[in-house]
Amino acid sequence: MLRTYEGIRFFSDKQMVILDIGSAYTKFGYAGEPTPRGIIRTEIKCPDTKELRRIYDYKDTEDLYQLLVEFLHALFFKHVVISPKDARIVILESLLVPTQFRDTLAKVLFRHFEIGSLMLLSTHLATISTLGINTALVLDIGYKEATLIPIYEGEPILKAWQALPLGGQVVHEYLMKSLREIYPNVDITEKLVEDIKVRTCFVTTLERSAKLRTADAPKPPPAIKYPGIKSINIPGEIREEAFEVLWDRDNDNLSIPTMILNAIIQCPIDTRRTLAENILLIGGTAMTKGFASRLKSELLTLVKSSHYSEKLKIQTFMFHTAPSKPNYTAWLGGAIFGSVDLPLRCLTKENYLKSDRVPDWVSLIDNQRDESTVYET
Amino acid sequence: MSYLNQPDYVCYVCNCGSLKPISKIYFCRHCSKIRCGYCVCQEVDSHYCPNCMENLPSSEVRLKKNKCSNCFKCPCCFQTLSTRAGHVPLRVVPADGEDSKDVKTTPKKVYYLSCSLCRWTSRDAGIPDQSMATGGWPEQENPHTSRINTLIDYHKILASIEKQQSERKKFRPKHPYMQIIYLFSFQAMFRITSAMVRKHIGHPAKPTNESTDQPSPAVASTEVEELPTDIFTEPVEITKITTLEQRLQQPDVQTENVNELRPQHRQLLVRRSQRCRVCEHNLCKPDFCSQSAKFKIQLAAFYHVPEVRIVTCEPLRPGKSSELLLKFCNPTQHQTQVVLLPLDTPMTPILTLVDEKEEVKQDNAQQGSESPNLLPSIVRQVPVVEETKSIKITANADVVLPQNCLILPRRDDAAEYDDTGDTHNFQDDPKFVIWRKGNKAVIKLHVIPHENLEENNNQPVVIGFVMQYRYVNTITTLEHKAPQKLDLKVKLYLTIGNIVGSA
Repeated sequence: MLRTYEGIRFFSDKQMVILDIGSAYTKFGYAGEPTPRGIIRTEIKCPDTKELRRIYDYKDTEDLYQLLVEFLHALFFKHVVISPKDARIVILESLLVPTQFRDTLAKVLFRHFEIGSLMLLSTHLATISTLGINTALVLDIGYKEATLIPIYEGEPILKAWQALPLGGQVVHEYLMKSLREIYPNVDITEKLVEDIKVRTCFVTTLERSAKLRTADAPKPPPAIKYPGIKSINIPGEIREEAFEVLWDRDNDNLSIPTMILNAIIQCPIDTRRTLAENILLIGGTAMTKGFASRLKSELLTLVKSSHYSEKLKIQTFMFHTAPSKPNYTAWLGGAIFGSVDLPLRCLTKENYLKSDRVPDWVSLIDNQRDESTVYET
Repeated sequence: MSYLNQPDYVCYVCNCGSLKPISKIYFCRHCSKIRCGYCVCQEVDSHYCPNCMENLPSSEVRLKKNKCSNCFKCPCCFQTLSTRAGHVPLRVVPADGEDSKDVKTTPKKVYYLSCSLCRWTSRDAGIPDQSMATGGWPEQENPHTSRINTLIDYHKILASIEKQQSERKKFRPKHPYMQIIYLFSFQAMFRITSAMVRKHIGHPAKPTNESTDQPSPAVASTEVEELPTDIFTEPVEITKITTLEQRLQQPDVQTENVNELRPQHRQLLVRRSQRCRVCEHNLCKPDFCSQSAKFKIQLAAFYHVPEVRIVTCEPLRPGKSSELLLKFCNPTQHQTQVVLLPLDTPMTPILTLVDEKEEVKQDNAQQGSESPNLLPSIVRQVPVVEETKSIKITANADVVLPQNCLILPRRDDAAEYDDTGDTHNFQDDPKFVIWRKGNKAVIKLHVIPHENLEENNNQPVVIGFVMQYRYVNTITTLEHKAPQKLDLKVKLYLTIGNIVGSA
């Protein structure tokens, strides 16, 4: 039953399509492949108004439905190139995804595209199958928000979830604001800002960041001349400070490093050390130069602070490296998980049409304790 | 052509509720209903490379990961790369004692890839030239492939255990999502040791070979990639850094350095075929050959439903009657009659004038549920019902609809070139039909925009009516039946212009 030679995996009946619809970029590909076939922007030209719209900027359910129809149509026929009818699809979603989005997506897939079966996988949970371990603290820093769910022995510790609106978007906003101040006559679009961010900005070190907005600020990194219709000069201060928004404490004294520490505190005491020694960073923003080293030094400084030193006795933090780039690690987790045949975990078309709803962990109908489901351990 | 460039002035309402111009809708002859791109089932028909136009069967497409093996695109500007030939003198190392002047340099043809738009060449990237024009270009390989394959194999074992366990336990969920707790946890799967795995799949326990089943778990480390210190001092040449777009073209590498970009295979495109969701007949099927622009099946509404065009409209004033001229055109091979009805007319088709009386009964009985031309219901799948879209447009002007019907003769291609005058003898009301030629006719209607419309709020005047047209369904003649004559209805919304002046 186990054949390890290559061909069998490739020609096994219908290929499973893995989609990770992120708020900025959508990763797509087939199960069992080590790399996604492509990464595209999660946006579509609205057929009525002809303007480019992000899927997550929807106004209401009906609007979202139409956006998803258009977007998935383009995705299926231009990028994934598969007939969606009766296709088997895996969607990676955060456990914290709005129910409205989740239900509408399932409705579009089943009612409009008539797909055969759908498997909804939690981003954080599926990610750990890229590591071959079953305990990890998964922090996903994407475009709109940073979310964290610790996984212990294959079980998500839901009560310790953390989410903050920190990600690529706030960095873009900062860059747009500061560049518009310097160049009021230049059209600073988000696309331009994204390119500037990716190519020139970085996360500075903790020591330098402490001195940044003081009198004895360190010498800024060299400025960069950015070519364009009107070439703009990006000062070194902006390059260095762009990502500082992620580390500044908000009014609740929260930022990315406190998310990790707060999550660990909320976890049972015997799991804390293991979780702190198995941190995995995913999401495009986590790929920024210097991000991981800054996070590490922030964590080490924070645990010594008065606020945490009482509650946490952890001294070391260890980070995992997935066999992928962080921006598609979650997709890869889905691709590994989707390569196995698990019909019991899929929602089939027949079942969906009969019940007209998607099972959800927050719903008590799906979450009843049933003795027959308890496996012997 | 005008349909492609103009705004949509005349919109037909499809059965799914979409508003589309006639050029974008289909007419299913089997259901006798209007369909559009939104409510048909779209399928991938054939794959082809947009550059070399080569057709590929779907099994090969899968093997090649949906990429053309011959065509490459530029990693910088994503245009197609061209292969260039260059001569490189082959240096023969002079043998000892021989004078190097005597040795002839034999020129050898070598090939490299070059982008004619941004001047990128494979030589810039340091890819060695090839001696064959067709390829042999080094393929990029994901460095983690073997590790990922191990993980996949491991997960397959776990899945098979889960399957066996559920079978052995006679695990019968009362409803299919009973396992939802398990859906969100790996616990059940990950607690299994590899010894258990061996037991389950019937292998004898081999402790020496233990490591092959369970992949070595990933090791976390306290060391992370540090920020290079020279980033604070070294000036940066921005043209040497790749853009995000360029990085995402090669997701497994996502290199930062422009020199490390590698040419990518061009992705294949597809031709789609459209199928009616209700009767599962093809509405549109392109020719298999990618060079051909013809269709095997093309049931566009343009060939079946009378086309309506706006000829002219008098300036519109709120509450005042204006003349509107509309041109109707019958595209079919049969004479048709068009009746204009108000918007609130029920939309069920009326079957009339079937030649044999017996069939009237039979067809009428079937007409109540579905069209008689469908495949037997055992063969067909139950169509998945999608909610119809609500019509977002509202008519804001009244239109005085004529009582008489308009008869349009059949289309005759030869008549287009016949200038001798029309020999039709239709008893037209000259107040209603003001022009007629061949299968086309222009009618005059009176439009009264609503009183509350104002000149300046830029709201276009929209009228709506139901067009009932006689349609002869010839598909039944194939099944040795007499052709059906149906009176079909379609809702139309016309944007006729803006308010000029006040009342």
